Amino acid sequence: MIHLENVSKIYRTGNREVAALLDFSLDVARGEFSVLAGPSGSGKTTVLNLIGCLDQSTRGRIEVAGMDVSRRTVTQLASFRLAHIGFIFQSYNLIPVLSAQENAEFTLMLRGVPKAKRQARIQELFERLGIAGLENRKPGDLSGGQQQRVAIARAMAAKPNLILADEPTANLDSKTSEDLLELMRELNEEQQITFLFSSHDPMIIGCARRVIELKDGHLASDSKDSAA
Amino acid sequence: MISSVQLLPLFFLLLSTPAWALDLAELVRSVETQYSGESSYSRVRMEIRTEHWQRSLEMEGWSLGRDYFLTRILAPDKDRGVSTLKAQQDVWNYLPKVDRVMKIPASMMGGSWMGSHITNDDLVKGSRVDLDYELRLLEESKKHYLIECLPRPEAVVVWGKVLYRIKKPDLLPESISYFDEEMTEVRRILFDDVQPVGARMIPMRLTVLPLEKPQEQTIMRYEKIDYGAELTRDFFSLRTLQKRP
Amino acid sequence: MLASLALRNLGRNRRRTLLTLCATVVSCSLLILALGIFSGMLADILDSTTGQYHGHLVVSSPQYPERRSLYDSFEEDLKTQEALLRHPGITGLSPRLRAFGLLSFTRAALPVELLGIRPQREASVTRLGQQLVRGSRLDSAGGAQPEVLIGEGLASRLGATVGDELAFMTQAADGSIGNDLLRIRGIFSTGDRNRDNQLALVPLDWLRELLVLPDALHELALRVDDPMEAPAIRQRLEGQLADADTSLAILDWGQLLPTMREAIANFDVSRMILIIILYSATGLGILNTFFMSVIERTREIGILLAMGMTPARVRRMILLEALFLGLISLVLGTLIGIALTAWMHQVGIDLSDWITPVTYAGGTIAPRLHATFETANILMPALILLGVCLLAGYFPARRASKLQPALAIREDA
Ligand SMILES: Nc1ncnc2c1ncn2[C@@H]1O[C@H](COP(=O)(O)OP(=O)(O)OP(=O)(O)O)[C@@H](O)[C@H]1O
Ligand SMILES: [Mg+2]
Repeated sequence: MIHLENVSKIYRTGNREVAALLDFSLDVARGEFSVLAGPSGSGKTTVLNLIGCLDQSTRGRIEVAGMDVSRRTVTQLASFRLAHIGFIFQSYNLIPVLSAQENAEFTLMLRGVPKAKRQARIQELFERLGIAGLENRKPGDLSGGQQQRVAIARAMAAKPNLILADEPTANLDSKTSEDLLELMRELNEEQQITFLFSSHDPMIIGCARRVIELKDGHLASDSKDSAA
Repeated sequence: MISSVQLLPLFFLLLSTPAWALDLAELVRSVETQYSGESSYSRVRMEIRTEHWQRSLEMEGWSLGRDYFLTRILAPDKDRGVSTLKAQQDVWNYLPKVDRVMKIPASMMGGSWMGSHITNDDLVKGSRVDLDYELRLLEESKKHYLIECLPRPEAVVVWGKVLYRIKKPDLLPESISYFDEEMTEVRRILFDDVQPVGARMIPMRLTVLPLEKPQEQTIMRYEKIDYGAELTRDFFSLRTLQKRP
Repeated sequence: MLASLALRNLGRNRRRTLLTLCATVVSCSLLILALGIFSGMLADILDSTTGQYHGHLVVSSPQYPERRSLYDSFEEDLKTQEALLRHPGITGLSPRLRAFGLLSFTRAALPVELLGIRPQREASVTRLGQQLVRGSRLDSAGGAQPEVLIGEGLASRLGATVGDELAFMTQAADGSIGNDLLRIRGIFSTGDRNRDNQLALVPLDWLRELLVLPDALHELALRVDDPMEAPAIRQRLEGQLADADTSLAILDWGQLLPTMREAIANFDVSRMILIIILYSATGLGILNTFFMSVIERTREIGILLAMGMTPARVRRMILLEALFLGLISLVLGTLIGIALTAWMHQVGIDLSDWITPVTYAGGTIAPRLHATFETANILMPALILLGVCLLAGYFPARRASKLQPALAIREDA
């Protein structure tokens, strides 16, 4: 599903160079439920952005869902994201002018899915995520946990192959975090969606089947390797 | 040493014009006053031909020197009694039908007099040529003098140049040419039919040709000129003008 | 979907949107009002100029307008006149004969223009003979003694007043000396000093007799519905006159009054300048609003891009916001502008207490604010406003579409 080969990302600010990622290689198979761990500034967000085609690598080769994502136009990348990737962010990032329902069905609308189909899909997801009845609320009227559930619904609505979640529980209390994590694990198992998290929450790390640890832009350890 | 007193006669001799020299001013003046003399009475037939109509007027006229002049239409009946008085620089018309006198305003002096090709200005300014223009003998042949008149800088004049063509040896006019500011000839007056009147020889016919309109002309035919008329200035008054014939 | 999103985004910072809207609506409506008043002023001038003397169209022999020769006349033909009056757009026709000559009261004779008219017909074309300061109008029946209306300046230069007898002298068409007495019936003031100093109006039939020009006319003055249509009507009539083989020519007011035409033509330029000045200020305001709105939403736009919205769609969304703002401004601005213009059209503001009439391009600007409707005065501000909004939205939209999603999302909200 994901194949990173000697990927480097170097940021230039003025004449100072910051290597956010250096010679990083990673393979994630379909249906995996993995977490990127590591201290702040270790390069977790950078890895997720590169896989999510939100950013371009400085060096190295990246393949996602079988496609080489380097040297593509911004429009091609946008279409690719729409077709294959769902995002969940730390601070939910729902569109404030849209209702919960509209936020969740946004990618479906971008894909031109007809209204009835959209509604059925969102209905199903909201019920599954335990937020049925909140469809017409605006994000501002929802709690953090509810917002993140809507964000998960939005990420899942278009049935992507891959969901990337950058510290999805960092803004939530531990009870809610646990519930959400449980939910995502179930979805992963039910629908065979590949999940890749970043986190430094030991609880999340503990739940993951595979823990990839980063340090200063390098791969520090990978539980898959040690298991092997 | 020669004293200045001794030189004086020589000086005068150089200044004065020779007695035999042609007096151009006198010549031009005599042309312009040939029909008026000191004072005169005349009868004229004026034939006017324009693009649109043709008519013949009979008139009688009185004049005193070059400054006074009065004329009255005798025929045709429609215009009978219409009179013109010229005194110094002014021209008045009298209209018997409405019994009114009209003074021609300065702005209309260039207008036609009685529908002819003679303007009101001609009545006033014609007699002043020797005063308003600088005269020069342009050419002299066996038969002619050609006198060129160019306006004096301070004079208010109508023409850019006037050329008098005068026959030798009787010094009678043959033609006068009038030029505009661009020095194109715009009008010509021809004199012919010379006849004795009293002691003088006078061209009894005068033809005015507006050169811009070749098919138009005005002919003035003098039928009678009487230089013996006894006239005073009092005669040339608005009262006389308004007297119906 | 993009449309509803754009509309909701507009409603987001309601105060800012309303303030921007206020600016655009006020500038659009005031612009429409100002142009309406401007047009009203020009219509006043045009009307005063054409209604003072020429009318809107003049039919005459081709040489007559330049030479004004007595002999360039044509025979009056009632059929032609009826045909002209039946022509769409033409509302009035006045046959005229003209003579130049001397008019005197006591001794001082003055050069004048004598215009022979039929008073009622003339009234259907111009105000000649109606703006009387003394006396009364010409009697169309014509009494035993011929009567005349003279200009105010002419009256004072002649030293004559109503009831006095004037003598007129001119050269008739047969070469005879046409002269007659005219009794002053009234004294008029057209507002044009030159005209008032040398114009006299007399009955057409009397002048024909004096000039020995029976049945002759020098011109037909015409009035049309809409003066701006005069050139078009002239062209149509030219064809008609050529077909009828009348050897008559026709001039419109623009040819008769070139300075007036220039003044009107200048209006198109002045209007453009006014629009540009006003809208560049408004446009900068809109640009500022949209840039702020895009910068505030950087992170959100990053999310939209991350979710798979293409940059082109992002750009279209922002442009749609600008378009909606423009459309709302257009509708409100035009409605308010039309309402203000209508009010200014019906009520107007009388300024005669403060300002005296001003002469401009040969016409008189009445001391009043009065608006007239002209399609371009409403269409141009409205459409250009829309264009300005789209242009002002274009740059922020482009900026939004060029955002790097990774950087945009990292941005602290
Ligand atoms: N746009 C940028 N310009 C310059 N340096 C950057 C930029 N984005 C990230 N970095 C740097 O790259 C390194 C990796 O950052 P990254 O955000 O990937 O770390 P992280 O593991 O996600 O940290 P955190 O746990 O704080 O989210 C950091 O040192 C960061 O300062
Ligand atoms: Mg991070």
